[in-house]
Amino acid sequence: MFQPQKTYEFYSPTKVLSGNKALENLPVELDGMNAVKPLILTTPGLSARGMEKVMASAFGDSNLTIGVFAGVPPQPDLRLIRELYSLYRDNGYDAIIALGGGPVLDTAKALNIAVSGKPEDLESLASGNPLTKKLKPLAAILNLDLSGCEMTRYASLGSLSLTSPALIPDLMIIDPRTATEEEQKTMAATSLMSMTQAVEACLHPARNHLTDAYAYGAARFIMENITNVMRNPSERKGRLALANAAFFAQTSFDNLAPGMVYELGMAVSRSCHTKPGLIMGLLLPHFLLLEMRKETTDRKDLYLFIGGPEAFAGTMAEASARKAVDRIVEILLELQSIVTYFPRSIRDLGIKKEDLEKIVAHGSAAGVRGEYDPQDIRNILEKAWETRF
Amino acid sequence: MNEYKEIQSGSKPFKRAYVALMLWFVGRAIEAAARVDAAVKAEFDGLSPGFTFSLGVMPQGPTMIVGKDDQGLVRYRGWDPEGQKIDLKMKVKNLEGAILMFTFQESTAMASARNRLIVDGEVPAACAIVRVLDIVEVYLLPKLIAKLAVKRYPDWSFGEKIRNRIRIYGGAIFGL
Amino acid sequence: MELPGYYEYYCGVKIIAGHDALERIPGILQDLHARRPMIVTDKGVAGAGLVDIVLGAVKDQLTIGAVADDVPPDSDLRVVNRLAALYREQDCDALIAVGGGSVMDTAKGINIVVSERADDLMKFSGAGALKRPLKPLVAVPTTAGTGSEVTLVAVVKDHERHLKMAFVSYFLLPNASILDSRMTLSLPAAITAATGMDALTHAVEAYYGLSKNPLSDATALAAIRLISGNLVKVTRNPSDREARLAMANAAALAGMAFSNSMVGMVHTLGHATGSVCGVPHGVCMAILLPYGLEYNRHKREAVMGELLFPMGGSDVFAGTTKEQRTDRVIAYVRQMNQDLHDASGGRHARFFKEVLDREGKPAVPRERLLDIARTALGDGSIFYNPEDLDYDDFLMVLEAAWEGVALDPGCIRT
Repeated sequence: MFQPQKTYEFYSPTKVLSGNKALENLPVELDGMNAVKPLILTTPGLSARGMEKVMASAFGDSNLTIGVFAGVPPQPDLRLIRELYSLYRDNGYDAIIALGGGPVLDTAKALNIAVSGKPEDLESLASGNPLTKKLKPLAAILNLDLSGCEMTRYASLGSLSLTSPALIPDLMIIDPRTATEEEQKTMAATSLMSMTQAVEACLHPARNHLTDAYAYGAARFIMENITNVMRNPSERKGRLALANAAFFAQTSFDNLAPGMVYELGMAVSRSCHTKPGLIMGLLLPHFLLLEMRKETTDRKDLYLFIGGPEAFAGTMAEASARKAVDRIVEILLELQSIVTYFPRSIRDLGIKKEDLEKIVAHGSAAGVRGEYDPQDIRNILEKAWETRF
Repeated sequence: MNEYKEIQSGSKPFKRAYVALMLWFVGRAIEAAARVDAAVKAEFDGLSPGFTFSLGVMPQGPTMIVGKDDQGLVRYRGWDPEGQKIDLKMKVKNLEGAILMFTFQESTAMASARNRLIVDGEVPAACAIVRVLDIVEVYLLPKLIAKLAVKRYPDWSFGEKIRNRIRIYGGAIFGL
Repeated sequence: MELPGYYEYYCGVKIIAGHDALERIPGILQDLHARRPMIVTDKGVAGAGLVDIVLGAVKDQLTIGAVADDVPPDSDLRVVNRLAALYREQDCDALIAVGGGSVMDTAKGINIVVSERADDLMKFSGAGALKRPLKPLVAVPTTAGTGSEVTLVAVVKDHERHLKMAFVSYFLLPNASILDSRMTLSLPAAITAATGMDALTHAVEAYYGLSKNPLSDATALAAIRLISGNLVKVTRNPSDREARLAMANAAALAGMAFSNSMVGMVHTLGHATGSVCGVPHGVCMAILLPYGLEYNRHKREAVMGELLFPMGGSDVFAGTTKEQRTDRVIAYVRQMNQDLHDASGGRHARFFKEVLDREGKPAVPRERLLDIARTALGDGSIFYNPEDLDYDDFLMVLEAAWEGVALDPGCIRT
């Protein structure tokens, strides 16, 4: 929050509705966007948990007709988008409601491109041509099983990577009936993803007043609620706070380039099929310890984000960066004692030592921002492999 | 695709009936309160001749309408906005929002803070009507509940409050 | 951080801030598929050379369809219709509004007319009347205070029919707001001080108001920190570019906070004083803010105490017990008014009796306080104030703010 001022851009086009009876506002919100017939996309799993009934009840007394497609698979593909495209067109839908995390939003964003123009626009966008048409209304209803990109400009569909600010959902709803309990490990992964996005936003060289404000909200909500919710998943307010934190973290992440821990976490996740949030949680302390040894980064207020104003103000400036790391490690240790089968190092995830070199090469070649030294990346990965929390 | 189906949004007849009953009751209580309570009367006197407002639920009711007649008396004007000239429309965005209000889980102030109400009309009139609703709530509800519904519980004398309360209940229920 | 049982938040305005933010305008308009914008501004802004700076920053990459630099301070429907006609004649396809509140409102009004082909603007007043996006609008604020570059309201007067039309719609939000230090660099000290206190009031009222939420909190805290660190500094040294940019950021952040969390009694009384006595809005805010804190204190003690962190910084915050924090916050705001009074050579007013009109006469005669209190009863911002106020309460607060004395806690009815 104390950086020199550079020119920045910030954009968050999403309207947030969070809390009690939020779902019931959908009809009014859709009407404000000139939509009357939404198609809800969700997964078979969420459908089996009764989410369709919840949605039907939320639309009760609205006089609207809603469609529900409850077949979004873990790996949606172009074939699915083409099927949904016909379904959307043939039945006269005029908006999409995505209920759930990761793949549901990927499907919804891709479908929205197709129905707002034509299915071929997907390949066109993936090969770098910007979208020219305004997209149809898209609402996202978040739960606590998230990929970290739901509320961002990013979507992926098989081999296609789609990036456009137009993909960001117009509306985000967090409601106690849909942000329900997930497995402990799933909720931990979601929150550690948010935490990583928030911490990296706070240390980012291009941080600005608004990414700071969002990252601050995210970090505070996670630190105040993560262990409570793991201990007592029926704690409804805590779950809503974590879902809110995910949105805040994603919004600050979306307005900055992805950070190193995020990119490495994604890379490691691809080679061991573990949720990236868990891996990022394991990488984060090692990354921070390495950062602290450098003189270049402005990190003196990280502890404000992590510890809150009371703790931050009560700590000597020189000690505060170290305190932030300690606090994060404490949280990880606590999670280990609460969450069953919580990994303690990336070695626990079945990563072999010789795999690390591949990830280093991949990390420094592709995604990870140029300013990181491959030696740093190797260092962090090795530490996260050897050290067991 | 058997994962796909189309759902007609159902109705919530009991909740609707409850809200309709409450609106009917509040509408008639406002009429009675304007006769009984000087502050309510003064608020209405300050509004333009023939001023009429509605309080209802989106998208299709229930609704109640209250307005001033030719003599300046405040009248409950029923539930049907058809054919009535309404100066101020207060609409709760959905039935569940109305349930929160009329089961006193959310006060008028909280409902507006939570953006559950849409006000269409002149703001000064809306302010006057909110003050009227607050006073009527204090009459209709036991102190314990009314304290949650209004920001500041008025320090009226006990005897006067009870006398007026009886007259307003009488007016609302029996049209006395 | 507090999570309310329910909240809503929206600010879909793209923010571009920096010492050379104006240079990004062509790219933004290109993304919005616009190529021929009309610039809307007023004589004061044009006279200060600000339009030339904007033109200089964009002209190589953009054709300007028209420059309308005669929006009057008291703009109305006639101006809106005249400029809408100019927009059409010149075949424009976007608007760049350079100025303060009146210019922004006029530009929003023009946008409704040209986008909806409206012959009667009245049809689009009230909530929910606009249903689709309007033409691209880029806002370039030239004061750091009102936050109108991020708000969704427009007020257009109709002097012939004696009407004031309010338009409320997300579609009225500018597509982008450009916060560039060059636009406020020439602002005189007294206006800098008053508009800065307007922004501080937005943030503080948003933070203790009934509609506060985590995002309005985060933006409000950031705004308060920036204002506390820069407002007195920039009033003392108007050419401090870093402080100017910080204040422009602060005003936009505070605008985001209050347009989502709304404002309370400081605005209720401020609007009323403005309309009865014609006192500039920022001046009213500066004078009334301490009283908003004092009056609502019994309902918001803990929340108000948190403001000491962004106001006073770590050491002051840590060195003050929880019970004393709200006292310090109120004292801090009063001290800030005093510092601004000193820094502006006495032109920044600290209480109503020292506010002067253009002719140097007292602008708020004591006997007008009754009218102000009566007018305040009709202002909607009171809904969002934590504690209720009736006529007597308004008058009590006004009397204290006129004299410049603290509220007597015994007189606040709970």
